[in-house]
Amino acid sequence: MSLKMCVMLSLVVNKSGEVFSIQTVNLTKRFAKKRHRGVFGFLRRNQLDRDVIEKNGVTVALNKVNIKICPGELFGLLGPNGSGKTTMIKCLSTILIPDEGTVRVNGFDAQKETSMVRASLGMVVGGERTLYWKLTARDNLMYFASLYKMQRAHAKRRVDELLEMFHLSDRADERLEDYSTGMRQKVTIARALLHDPPILLLDEPTLGLDPGFSRQIRRQIRELSEKHGKTVLLTTHYMDEADQLCDRVAFINSGNIVAVDTPNRLKARVKEKEIVEVTVYSPPADIEERIRSLLPDAEVVKLILGDEDKGNPSRIKIIGGAAEEHVGTVIDALRQKNVRIGSLNVGVPTLEDVFIKLTGAKLTEGGMQ
Amino acid sequence: MEKNNKDYRLREVKCPSGFTWANVKAELRAIWEANVKAWKIDFAYPVSFVRQLISPVVFMIPYLLYGLVLIGGTYSENLAQLVGTGDVVAFIFTGYIMMGFIGTAVWAMGFSMRREQWFGTLEAIYVTPASRLGQVLGMALHSTVHQGMGTLIQAVFIYVTFGLGLNMSGILPALLIFALMLFALYGFGIVIAAVSMILKEGWIVSDSFYSIMTILSPVAYPLTVLPTLAQQASAIFPTAPALIGMRTFLIYDYVPEVVGNVFLHLLALGIVWIVFGVFVFHLTDKYVRKKGILKKY
Amino acid sequence: MMQSAYEQSSVRSNFFVVWNEFVKNMKFLMAYPIIFVFWAVFPIFWFIPFILQGQAFVGGLESASFAQIAGTEDYISFIVIGAVLNSYVNTLLYGMGESIRREAVQGTLDYVFAAPCNKAYVLIGKALSESVSSTIFAVSQLTISVLLFGVTFTLEVMFPVFFIVILLILGLYGLSLVLAAVSLMYKQSHDVSETIGYFFYIFSPVRYPIESLPSWAQIIGKLIPLTYALIIVRSIMLLGTSLTEMYWEIFALLIIDAVLIAAGFYMFNWMEEKTKRSGTISHH
Repeated sequence: MSLKMCVMLSLVVNKSGEVFSIQTVNLTKRFAKKRHRGVFGFLRRNQLDRDVIEKNGVTVALNKVNIKICPGELFGLLGPNGSGKTTMIKCLSTILIPDEGTVRVNGFDAQKETSMVRASLGMVVGGERTLYWKLTARDNLMYFASLYKMQRAHAKRRVDELLEMFHLSDRADERLEDYSTGMRQKVTIARALLHDPPILLLDEPTLGLDPGFSRQIRRQIRELSEKHGKTVLLTTHYMDEADQLCDRVAFINSGNIVAVDTPNRLKARVKEKEIVEVTVYSPPADIEERIRSLLPDAEVVKLILGDEDKGNPSRIKIIGGAAEEHVGTVIDALRQKNVRIGSLNVGVPTLEDVFIKLTGAKLTEGGMQ
Repeated sequence: MEKNNKDYRLREVKCPSGFTWANVKAELRAIWEANVKAWKIDFAYPVSFVRQLISPVVFMIPYLLYGLVLIGGTYSENLAQLVGTGDVVAFIFTGYIMMGFIGTAVWAMGFSMRREQWFGTLEAIYVTPASRLGQVLGMALHSTVHQGMGTLIQAVFIYVTFGLGLNMSGILPALLIFALMLFALYGFGIVIAAVSMILKEGWIVSDSFYSIMTILSPVAYPLTVLPTLAQQASAIFPTAPALIGMRTFLIYDYVPEVVGNVFLHLLALGIVWIVFGVFVFHLTDKYVRKKGILKKY
Repeated sequence: MMQSAYEQSSVRSNFFVVWNEFVKNMKFLMAYPIIFVFWAVFPIFWFIPFILQGQAFVGGLESASFAQIAGTEDYISFIVIGAVLNSYVNTLLYGMGESIRREAVQGTLDYVFAAPCNKAYVLIGKALSESVSSTIFAVSQLTISVLLFGVTFTLEVMFPVFFIVILLILGLYGLSLVLAAVSLMYKQSHDVSETIGYFFYIFSPVRYPIESLPSWAQIIGKLIPLTYALIIVRSIMLLGTSLTEMYWEIFALLIIDAVLIAAGFYMFNWMEEKTKRSGTISHH
């Protein structure tokens, strides 16, 4: 769905005049850097320290971010760790107050109409403890239903419905400490859906899950978007996940939005013949430099270190220039350094390739599970 | 990707807000559910639950035994000169009731938000439209009942082992004073809950206030033994006037002027602490959202 | 054939384990200066009510009734000594359990247990750091008490008192090992330390002479190392008794120390083995 079409449809049907489910204008958030100087550090603080704090003591987590997400859209926010994805989610969910700019969620101002923004949202954070492990799944959901101001009878029906939907009915009255990580994540998603919000914020929802559960969660996210018409903002650093699921994707790096488009259009920015990816084992530290010197016409040469113990070999990506001509040179260079080659691919662009081309930074060191 | 079957418009959400009956009902239910949740979590730790029930007895015994050894009996001539009664058992018991409820305010309420941080659920609570104050008040409800049970056990124990003599007709008015005191104490508890959220070592705040309030309340001694400045400082905490009022009904001879002053004092403290508590809580709420320190503990 | 690290362990490597654990724990403590100051000063506030209670009940700084049971009229010094020695129980008993719980929360406990060294040395390192910090806190509390409440004692008594404190610490080490063992299996180790703390507080003469307890409670009290430490230290500091006169109490304290340390090591090794089999180390 193109942005233009989305705007058009919304303008036609939205009575309140609001067009976007989520809209940020110049959203900016900065954090003061904390300096650790030891126990008696305050005694050592001098003028130089103060100057440094004034000049460099601020991390810009979000820098004038403008995003517009249409109703019903499944929107991905991709970026490496520390790029500002979670800060963005927190600003949207009213957990964090931005320093500058405005946030509107479901037509409500996040700073002035916080209750309505919260009632419009369901949030899921992956890989963390966000439920009461000493309570059962049903207890957890009933409790949060009260915080979403649902009436008891309605809450009971809804909880049963969600437990059924996530195939948790059989174990609904067991404490969460006896659940697997994947099952707990299902309860977290069920909690986000309790009040049937039009918008879901999913922050790394598959983080730390095994491949089976990840697939289930992804299928459910797709269903929520397609069957239930939810607007979904998904942050992830698994590019394949974003590629599979999202209508549109935004790249975020160091608090800046680098590009926004559909996955296919983004990938079209890197021509097929421009990509060479070689998986290698135990590459020497200087290999990236060596290959770069041999391929002066390549735009990007990047060594992405893997974790060989976990079955993820390292990868060398070469973007730009005549890829087919690069292959021979790369193989020769690797052989000279006695590097074992796992596989070699030419011309299969991924969102990661686009990200590397746009920012020079790598998106992630691991792939999708 | 074309998804023409979708309904592309903003959806109306229904959520009671503002000063409406529906919203008050919803917020009260949230407080009740926070209380129920606290009970369920308590029952998940049975040893801790039982220990907390008997702790009022455990911590009162030293005050009693030490007091009895000091004077070689249950009657203190000096105490009688200071307050009009020399019955140290009744004096310590009535005083010690207060210790438990000070603990309720500074520990249970003061730590309610911190506990959520520890469980990892604070952010999940923050994204709901219910007031965060509900968490603190839910915990207040839970721990008041919990502490009340402990006090009952304490009363039975002291009656059986040391012989407790109280003026039974004074129990109802004493409870009224107690309820007024709780109102002010909970305002204080809300302040602690707010402050402990922004300080990394929140337990130090709770423990410090607990210790200071204990010293400035006439738990095991009358206020007259404190330095003048400390006596004046004790007036800002509700426990001091409440103890004077309760002891008037339960142990001492009834003096209408004293009781009248106590009621007025507690009423004023209640209003001030609640208003101040809610104000500080909202300020802190904004501060943690501005600084992004909700998750840190 | 290569030797494993475990086979290579020597006195030196064990000392290295103890020393590094000690340094790590001291660094943790120094990373939170506010906690350090709290423990050095705040326990004073816990016994001030008892001093004020004494003044209200007695009307002076000495009590003849108190002397009949406690042997000294000076109830303030009695309370101060009780509080300072009890602070060792607070820091050592809770400190050890807390230290292990912290490792579990941080996710480092599995790695500590996966290391080939003897885990008892890790615990000795932890106990050593707790002892050093407890002593710093005790000295601080005693100094403040001297300045605020006029508690007096001669410097000659410090050596025998220090000797008794070491004996107390040894007993508490044993108990800490038992607690550490329990915390491996039972996730709420805090409850166990609290319950033991209650036991110490009620049955030991922390705030009142042991003679004021019923006879059955006195028997329980005499199984607790803190009871003997308190009796000996108070006799030395308040009544001028020499260490040699207290040989029976010292002997009893040594026996209890030996039993607790032996039980501690046995239980810890047993629980470690058990938890490795059931795989419940990191739960919290």
